[in-house]
Amino acid sequence: MTRYLKTAFILFAICAVAAILLAVINEVTAPRIALNVQQTAEETLAAVSGGYEQGEAREGDGGTVTSVTPLLDGGSIVGYILELSTSGYGGEITMATSYLTDGSVLSSKVMSDSETPGLGKKAEESWYMEMFSGLGADSPLPETKDDLVDPSLVSGATVTFNGVSSAIREGSEYVKTLGGM
Amino acid sequence: MAGHMKELTKGIFKENPTFIIMLGMCPTLGVTTQVFNAFGMGASVLFVLLGSNMIISALRKVIPDAIRIPAYIVVIASFVTIVEMVLHAYVPAVYDALGVYLPLIVVNCIILGRAEAFANKNTVLDSALDAIGMGIGFTLALSLIAAIREVIGAGTITLLNLSETQRVVITLPGISESPVRVMTLAAGALLLMGYLKAFFNWNTGRKAKGGESA
Repeated sequence: MTRYLKTAFILFAICAVAAILLAVINEVTAPRIALNVQQTAEETLAAVSGGYEQGEAREGDGGTVTSVTPLLDGGSIVGYILELSTSGYGGEITMATSYLTDGSVLSSKVMSDSETPGLGKKAEESWYMEMFSGLGADSPLPETKDDLVDPSLVSGATVTFNGVSSAIREGSEYVKTLGGM
Repeated sequence: MAGHMKELTKGIFKENPTFIIMLGMCPTLGVTTQVFNAFGMGASVLFVLLGSNMIISALRKVIPDAIRIPAYIVVIASFVTIVEMVLHAYVPAVYDALGVYLPLIVVNCIILGRAEAFANKNTVLDSALDAIGMGIGFTLALSLIAAIREVIGAGTITLLNLSETQRVVITLPGISESPVRVMTLAAGALLLMGYLKAFFNWNTGRKAKGGESA
Protein backbone atom coordinates (compact mmCIF):
# COMPACT_ATOMS: atom_id res chain seq x y z
CA MET A 1 0.00 0.00 0.00
CA THR A 2 2.73 2.46 0.97
CA ARG A 3 4.59 1.54 -2.20
CA TYR A 4 1.59 2.62 -4.29
CA LEU A 5 1.18 5.79 -2.32
CA LYS A 6 4.86 6.61 -2.71
CA THR A 7 4.75 5.97 -6.46
CA ALA A 8 1.64 8.08 -6.84
CA PHE A 9 3.16 10.84 -4.78
CA ILE A 10 6.34 10.95 -6.89
CA LEU A 11 4.36 11.19 -10.11
CA PHE A 12 2.14 13.83 -8.54
CA ALA A 13 5.18 15.82 -7.42
CA ILE A 14 6.74 15.72 -10.88
CA CYS A 15 3.47 16.84 -12.47
CA ALA A 16 3.00 19.60 -9.89
CA VAL A 17 6.48 21.02 -10.47
CA ALA A 18 5.95 20.86 -14.24
CA ALA A 19 2.59 22.60 -13.94
CA ILE A 20 3.97 25.41 -11.79
CA LEU A 21 6.89 25.93 -14.16
CA LEU A 22 4.61 26.04 -17.19
CA ALA A 23 2.22 28.42 -15.44
CA VAL A 24 5.06 30.84 -14.76
CA ILE A 25 6.32 30.73 -18.34
CA ASN A 26 2.80 31.07 -19.67
CA GLU A 27 2.33 34.15 -17.51
CA VAL A 28 5.43 35.70 -19.08
CA THR A 29 4.78 34.77 -22.70
CA ALA A 30 0.97 35.06 -22.95
CA PRO A 31 0.77 38.88 -23.24
CA ARG A 32 3.55 38.85 -25.82
CA ILE A 33 1.76 36.15 -27.83
CA ALA A 34 -1.51 38.08 -27.69
CA LEU A 35 0.30 41.19 -28.91
CA ASN A 36 1.91 39.26 -31.78
CA VAL A 37 -1.42 37.81 -32.84
CA GLN A 38 -3.12 41.20 -32.77
CA GLN A 39 -0.26 42.86 -34.64
CA THR A 40 -0.29 40.20 -37.33
CA ALA A 41 -4.04 40.58 -37.70
CA GLU A 42 -3.77 44.35 -38.13
CA GLU A 43 -0.90 44.01 -40.60
CA THR A 44 -2.85 41.44 -42.58
CA LEU A 45 -5.92 43.67 -42.77
CA ALA A 46 -3.77 46.59 -43.90
CA ALA A 47 -2.05 44.39 -46.48
CA VAL A 48 -5.29 43.26 -48.13
CA SER A 49 -7.09 46.61 -47.86
CA GLY A 50 -5.81 47.68 -51.28
CA GLY A 51 -5.06 51.16 -49.97
CA TYR A 52 -8.68 51.89 -48.98
CA GLU A 53 -9.68 53.14 -45.57
CA GLN A 54 -11.02 50.56 -43.12
CA GLY A 55 -14.42 51.00 -41.51
CA GLU A 56 -15.76 49.50 -38.32
CA ALA A 57 -15.49 45.71 -38.13
CA ARG A 58 -18.63 43.70 -37.35
CA GLU A 59 -19.67 40.07 -36.96
CA GLY A 60 -19.97 37.88 -40.01
CA ASP A 61 -22.61 35.29 -40.89
CA GLY A 62 -21.56 32.94 -38.12
CA GLY A 63 -20.37 30.34 -40.62
CA THR A 64 -17.38 30.73 -42.89
CA VAL A 65 -17.39 34.52 -42.60
CA THR A 66 -16.26 35.42 -39.09
CA SER A 67 -15.96 39.18 -39.45
CA VAL A 68 -16.71 41.92 -41.96
CA THR A 69 -14.81 45.18 -42.30
CA PRO A 70 -16.11 47.65 -44.87
CA LEU A 71 -13.58 49.37 -47.13
CA LEU A 72 -14.27 53.05 -47.57
CA ASP A 73 -13.25 55.50 -50.24
CA GLY A 74 -14.29 59.03 -49.37
CA GLY A 75 -17.10 57.84 -47.10
CA SER A 76 -18.75 55.41 -49.51
CA ILE A 77 -18.33 51.66 -49.30
CA VAL A 78 -16.29 50.24 -52.18
CA GLY A 79 -15.70 46.76 -50.80
CA TYR A 80 -15.27 44.57 -47.76
CA ILE A 81 -12.55 42.66 -46.00
CA LEU A 82 -13.86 39.34 -44.76
CA GLU A 83 -12.16 37.18 -42.23
CA LEU A 84 -12.82 33.66 -43.41
CA SER A 85 -12.47 30.45 -41.51
CA THR A 86 -12.20 27.19 -43.40
CA SER A 87 -10.65 23.80 -42.94
CA GLY A 88 -7.53 22.53 -44.64
CA TYR A 89 -5.51 19.36 -44.32
CA GLY A 90 -4.09 20.18 -40.89
CA GLY A 91 -7.14 21.81 -39.31
CA GLU A 92 -8.54 25.30 -39.36
CA ILE A 93 -7.26 27.92 -41.79
CA THR A 94 -8.18 31.53 -41.15
CA MET A 95 -7.61 34.16 -43.78
CA ALA A 96 -8.46 37.73 -44.65
CA THR A 97 -9.84 38.34 -48.12
CA SER A 98 -10.85 41.70 -49.53
CA TYR A 99 -13.56 42.02 -52.19
CA LEU A 100 -14.98 44.83 -54.22
CA THR A 101 -18.73 45.21 -53.87
CA ASP A 102 -19.31 43.27 -57.14
CA GLY A 103 -17.83 40.19 -55.45
CA SER A 104 -14.46 40.20 -57.20
CA VAL A 105 -11.42 39.35 -55.12
CA LEU A 106 -9.06 42.23 -54.43
CA SER A 107 -6.45 40.33 -52.44
CA SER A 108 -6.20 37.61 -49.87
CA LYS A 109 -3.84 36.45 -47.17
CA VAL A 110 -3.65 33.52 -44.79
CA MET A 111 -3.66 34.56 -41.13
CA SER A 112 -3.13 31.22 -39.46
CA ASP A 113 -3.00 27.58 -40.48
CA SER A 114 -1.53 24.23 -39.52
CA GLU A 115 -0.82 23.01 -43.02
CA THR A 116 2.10 20.79 -43.98
CA PRO A 117 5.32 22.71 -44.64
CA GLY A 118 6.24 22.49 -48.30
CA LEU A 119 2.74 21.47 -49.36
CA GLY A 120 -0.30 23.24 -47.93
CA LYS A 121 1.89 25.92 -46.35
CA LYS A 122 2.35 27.35 -49.84
CA ALA A 123 -1.04 29.02 -49.35
CA GLU A 124 0.81 31.55 -47.19
CA GLU A 125 2.83 32.78 -50.15
CA SER A 126 1.64 35.73 -52.17
CA TRP A 127 1.58 34.01 -55.58
CA TYR A 128 -0.86 31.45 -54.21
CA MET A 129 -3.54 34.01 -53.41
CA GLU A 130 -2.85 35.96 -56.61
CA MET A 131 -4.44 33.02 -58.46
CA PHE A 132 -7.78 34.30 -57.14
CA SER A 133 -7.27 38.04 -57.61
CA GLY A 134 -9.73 39.79 -59.91
CA LEU A 135 -12.01 36.76 -60.17
CA GLY A 136 -15.48 36.38 -58.68
CA ALA A 137 -17.49 38.97 -60.62
CA ASP A 138 -17.49 38.43 -64.39
CA SER A 139 -15.03 35.56 -64.49
CA PRO A 140 -15.78 32.73 -62.03
CA LEU A 141 -13.52 31.70 -59.17
CA PRO A 142 -11.89 28.27 -59.56
CA GLU A 143 -13.95 25.46 -58.02
CA THR A 144 -11.39 22.68 -58.27
CA LYS A 145 -7.70 22.80 -59.02
CA ASP A 146 -8.46 21.69 -62.60
CA ASP A 147 -9.91 25.16 -63.22
CA LEU A 148 -6.45 26.64 -62.70
CA VAL A 149 -4.08 27.52 -65.50
CA ASP A 150 -1.44 25.31 -63.90
CA PRO A 151 -2.94 22.73 -61.48
CA SER A 152 0.54 21.40 -60.67
CA LEU A 153 1.12 24.52 -58.56
CA VAL A 154 -1.17 23.16 -55.88
CA SER A 155 -0.62 19.44 -56.42
CA GLY A 156 0.11 17.55 -53.25
CA ALA A 157 -2.11 19.96 -51.34
CA THR A 158 -5.52 19.58 -52.94
CA VAL A 159 -7.33 19.59 -49.62
CA THR A 160 -5.78 22.93 -48.71
CA PHE A 161 -6.69 24.34 -52.09
CA ASN A 162 -10.29 23.16 -51.85
CA GLY A 163 -10.63 24.68 -48.39
CA VAL A 164 -9.15 28.00 -49.46
CA SER A 165 -11.02 28.27 -52.75
CA SER A 166 -14.40 27.29 -51.29
CA ALA A 167 -14.04 29.90 -48.54
CA ILE A 168 -13.12 32.58 -51.08
CA ARG A 169 -16.10 31.60 -53.24
CA GLU A 170 -18.46 31.71 -50.26
CA GLY A 171 -17.06 35.08 -49.28
CA SER A 172 -17.64 36.37 -52.78
CA GLU A 173 -21.30 35.29 -52.69
CA TYR A 174 -21.67 36.85 -49.24
CA VAL A 175 -20.27 40.17 -50.43
CA LYS A 176 -22.67 40.17 -53.37
CA THR A 177 -25.60 39.95 -50.93
CA LEU A 178 -24.23 42.89 -48.92
CA GLY A 179 -24.05 45.22 -51.89
CA GLY A 180 -22.59 48.68 -51.68
CA MET A 181 -24.82 50.14 -48.97
CA MET B 1 37.67 13.65 -19.87
CA ALA B 2 38.30 11.56 -22.98
CA GLY B 3 35.45 9.29 -21.91
CA HIS B 4 33.14 12.26 -21.56
CA MET B 5 34.09 13.59 -24.97
CA LYS B 6 33.05 10.28 -26.50
CA GLU B 7 29.51 10.84 -25.19
CA LEU B 8 29.48 14.16 -27.00
CA THR B 9 30.89 13.08 -30.35
CA LYS B 10 29.16 9.71 -30.75
CA GLY B 11 25.83 11.35 -31.55
CA ILE B 12 27.31 13.39 -34.37
CA PHE B 13 28.71 10.57 -36.52
CA LYS B 14 29.00 7.08 -35.06
CA GLU B 15 25.51 6.96 -33.55
CA ASN B 16 23.90 9.74 -35.55
CA PRO B 17 20.22 9.63 -34.51
CA THR B 18 18.91 10.13 -38.04
CA PHE B 19 21.25 8.17 -40.28
CA ILE B 20 22.43 5.37 -38.00
CA ILE B 21 19.80 4.86 -35.29
CA MET B 22 17.00 5.98 -37.65
CA LEU B 23 14.95 7.73 -35.00
CA GLY B 24 12.79 10.83 -35.33
CA MET B 25 11.91 10.21 -38.96
CA CYS B 26 8.60 12.08 -38.84
CA PRO B 27 10.02 15.59 -38.26
CA THR B 28 13.06 14.70 -40.36
CA LEU B 29 10.95 14.13 -43.42
CA GLY B 30 8.31 16.70 -42.51
CA VAL B 31 10.17 19.95 -41.98
CA THR B 32 13.22 19.57 -44.20
CA THR B 33 11.80 21.56 -47.09
CA GLN B 34 13.83 24.65 -46.15
CA VAL B 35 17.24 24.83 -44.54
CA PHE B 36 16.01 27.41 -42.05
CA ASN B 37 13.24 25.07 -40.85
CA ALA B 38 15.89 22.43 -40.22
CA PHE B 39 17.84 24.86 -38.03
CA GLY B 40 14.69 25.73 -36.08
CA MET B 41 13.68 22.11 -35.62
CA GLY B 42 17.23 21.07 -34.71
CA ALA B 43 17.61 23.82 -32.13
CA SER B 44 14.21 23.03 -30.57
CA VAL B 45 15.01 19.32 -30.32
CA LEU B 46 18.47 20.08 -28.93
CA PHE B 47 16.96 22.25 -26.18
CA VAL B 48 14.27 19.72 -25.26
CA LEU B 49 16.74 16.85 -25.34
CA LEU B 50 19.23 18.68 -23.17
CA GLY B 51 16.59 19.67 -20.62
CA SER B 52 14.86 16.31 -20.45
CA ASN B 53 18.10 14.29 -20.39
CA MET B 54 19.46 16.33 -17.49
CA ILE B 55 16.24 16.26 -15.43
CA ILE B 56 15.67 12.57 -16.05
CA SER B 57 19.25 11.77 -15.19
CA ALA B 58 19.04 13.83 -11.99
CA LEU B 59 15.80 12.08 -11.01
CA ARG B 60 16.86 8.58 -12.10
CA LYS B 61 17.12 7.33 -8.50
CA VAL B 62 13.85 8.99 -7.47
CA ILE B 63 11.55 7.81 -10.25
CA PRO B 64 10.31 4.24 -9.62
CA ASP B 65 10.64 1.88 -12.57
CA ALA B 66 6.88 1.30 -12.81
CA ILE B 67 6.05 4.90 -13.62
CA ARG B 68 9.17 5.92 -15.51
CA ILE B 69 7.46 6.31 -18.91
CA PRO B 70 4.69 8.67 -17.67
CA ALA B 71 7.29 10.58 -15.65
CA TYR B 72 9.53 10.96 -18.72
CA ILE B 73 6.62 12.06 -20.86
CA VAL B 74 5.63 14.74 -18.33
CA VAL B 75 9.20 16.06 -18.28
CA ILE B 76 9.55 15.99 -22.08
CA ALA B 77 6.10 17.50 -22.69
CA SER B 78 6.89 20.32 -20.26
CA PHE B 79 10.05 21.25 -22.13
CA VAL B 80 8.27 21.06 -25.48
CA THR B 81 5.52 23.33 -24.17
CA ILE B 82 8.15 25.80 -22.96
CA VAL B 83 9.78 25.81 -26.40
CA GLU B 84 6.38 26.27 -28.02
CA MET B 85 5.40 29.23 -25.83
CA VAL B 86 8.79 30.94 -26.11
CA LEU B 87 8.93 30.56 -29.90
CA HIS B 88 5.34 31.74 -30.28
CA ALA B 89 6.11 34.82 -28.21
CA TYR B 90 9.53 35.81 -29.49
CA VAL B 91 10.13 34.16 -32.88
CA PRO B 92 6.64 33.68 -34.36
CA ALA B 93 8.06 33.03 -37.83
CA VAL B 94 9.77 29.85 -36.65
CA TYR B 95 6.67 28.86 -34.70
CA ASP B 96 4.56 29.22 -37.84
CA ALA B 97 7.06 27.44 -40.06
CA LEU B 98 7.34 24.36 -37.85
CA GLY B 99 3.58 24.19 -37.33
CA VAL B 100 2.30 20.90 -36.02
CA TYR B 101 5.79 19.37 -35.89
CA LEU B 102 6.68 21.55 -32.91
CA PRO B 103 4.24 19.97 -30.40
CA LEU B 104 5.02 16.62 -32.00
CA ILE B 105 8.55 16.82 -30.55
CA VAL B 106 6.90 15.26 -27.47
CA VAL B 107 6.65 11.97 -29.31
CA ASN B 108 10.01 12.32 -31.08
CA CYS B 109 11.62 8.94 -30.52
CA ILE B 110 15.09 10.44 -30.19
CA ILE B 111 14.14 12.18 -26.96
CA LEU B 112 12.29 9.31 -25.29
CA GLY B 113 14.91 6.95 -26.72
CA ARG B 114 17.81 8.84 -25.12
CA ALA B 115 15.93 9.07 -21.82
CA GLU B 116 15.32 5.33 -21.79
CA ALA B 117 18.65 4.20 -23.26
CA PHE B 118 21.03 6.68 -21.72
CA ALA B 119 19.86 9.31 -19.24
CA ASN B 120 18.31 6.90 -16.75
CA LYS B 121 21.60 5.02 -16.36
CA ASN B 122 24.19 7.80 -16.51
CA THR B 123 25.28 10.91 -14.64
CA VAL B 124 23.87 14.35 -15.33
CA LEU B 125 27.10 15.49 -17.03
CA ASP B 126 27.27 12.50 -19.36
CA SER B 127 23.55 12.83 -20.13
CA ALA B 128 23.98 16.50 -20.98
CA LEU B 129 26.89 15.73 -23.29
CA ASP B 130 24.92 12.89 -24.86
CA ALA B 131 22.01 15.29 -25.45
CA ILE B 132 24.22 17.96 -27.01
CA GLY B 133 25.92 15.42 -29.26
CA MET B 134 22.64 13.84 -30.34
CA GLY B 135 21.08 17.27 -30.81
CA ILE B 136 23.93 18.46 -33.01
CA GLY B 137 23.87 15.19 -34.94
CA PHE B 138 20.14 15.59 -35.51
CA THR B 139 20.52 19.23 -36.57
CA LEU B 140 23.35 18.42 -38.99
CA ALA B 141 21.40 15.54 -40.49
CA LEU B 142 18.29 17.70 -40.91
CA SER B 143 20.32 20.53 -42.43
CA LEU B 144 21.97 18.16 -44.90
CA ILE B 145 18.63 16.70 -46.00
CA ALA B 146 17.03 20.13 -46.15
CA ALA B 147 19.91 21.60 -48.16
CA ILE B 148 19.73 18.84 -50.76
CA ARG B 149 15.92 18.97 -50.95
CA GLU B 150 15.77 22.74 -51.17
CA VAL B 151 18.52 23.04 -53.77
CA ILE B 152 17.09 20.37 -56.06
CA GLY B 153 13.42 21.00 -55.29
CA ALA B 154 13.32 24.79 -55.31
CA GLY B 155 16.75 26.03 -56.39
CA THR B 156 17.16 28.11 -53.25
CA ILE B 157 18.91 27.93 -49.89
CA THR B 158 16.97 29.70 -47.13
CA LEU B 159 19.39 30.55 -44.34
CA LEU B 160 17.20 33.03 -42.48
CA ASN B 161 13.47 33.62 -42.74
CA LEU B 162 12.14 35.63 -39.83
CA SER B 163 9.88 38.01 -41.74
CA GLU B 164 9.51 39.59 -45.17
CA THR B 165 12.38 41.95 -44.39
CA GLN B 166 14.64 39.66 -42.34
CA ARG B 167 15.31 37.07 -44.95
CA VAL B 168 18.49 35.55 -46.36
CA VAL B 169 17.82 33.37 -49.37
CA ILE B 170 20.46 32.25 -51.83
CA THR B 171 18.84 31.66 -55.21
CA LEU B 172 20.73 29.39 -57.54
CA PRO B 173 20.41 30.38 -61.19
CA GLY B 174 19.36 27.64 -63.58
CA ILE B 175 17.80 25.19 -61.15
CA SER B 176 15.47 27.75 -59.57
CA GLU B 177 13.72 28.23 -62.92
CA SER B 178 13.01 24.53 -63.42
CA PRO B 179 13.32 22.78 -60.07
CA VAL B 180 12.61 19.08 -59.55
CA ARG B 181 9.53 19.74 -57.46
CA VAL B 182 9.06 16.18 -56.25
CA MET B 183 12.03 16.70 -53.94
CA THR B 184 10.04 19.10 -51.78
CA LEU B 185 7.19 16.59 -51.53
CA ALA B 186 7.05 13.62 -49.18
CA ALA B 187 8.06 11.20 -51.93
CA GLY B 188 11.27 13.13 -52.55
CA ALA B 189 12.07 13.11 -48.86
CA LEU B 190 11.76 9.33 -48.68
CA LEU B 191 13.82 8.84 -51.86
CA LEU B 192 16.59 11.07 -50.57
CA MET B 193 16.52 9.42 -47.14
CA GLY B 194 16.98 6.06 -48.85
CA TYR B 195 19.98 7.26 -50.84
CA LEU B 196 21.58 8.89 -47.81
CA LYS B 197 21.04 5.79 -45.69
CA ALA B 198 22.62 3.69 -48.44
CA PHE B 199 25.55 6.08 -48.59
CA PHE B 200 26.10 5.96 -44.84
CA ASN B 201 25.84 2.17 -44.80
CA TRP B 202 28.39 1.95 -47.60
CA ASN B 203 30.64 4.38 -45.77
CA THR B 204 30.43 2.44 -42.50
CA GLY B 205 31.03 -0.83 -44.30
CA ARG B 206 34.05 0.62 -46.08
CA LYS B 207 35.55 1.75 -42.79
CA ALA B 208 34.96 -1.64 -41.19
CA LYS B 209 36.74 -3.44 -44.04
CA GLY B 210 39.31 -5.90 -42.80
CA GLY B 211 37.04 -6.94 -39.93
CA GLU B 212 34.35 -9.23 -41.22
CA SER B 213 33.39 -9.27 -44.86
CA ALA B 214 32.52 -5.74 -45.91
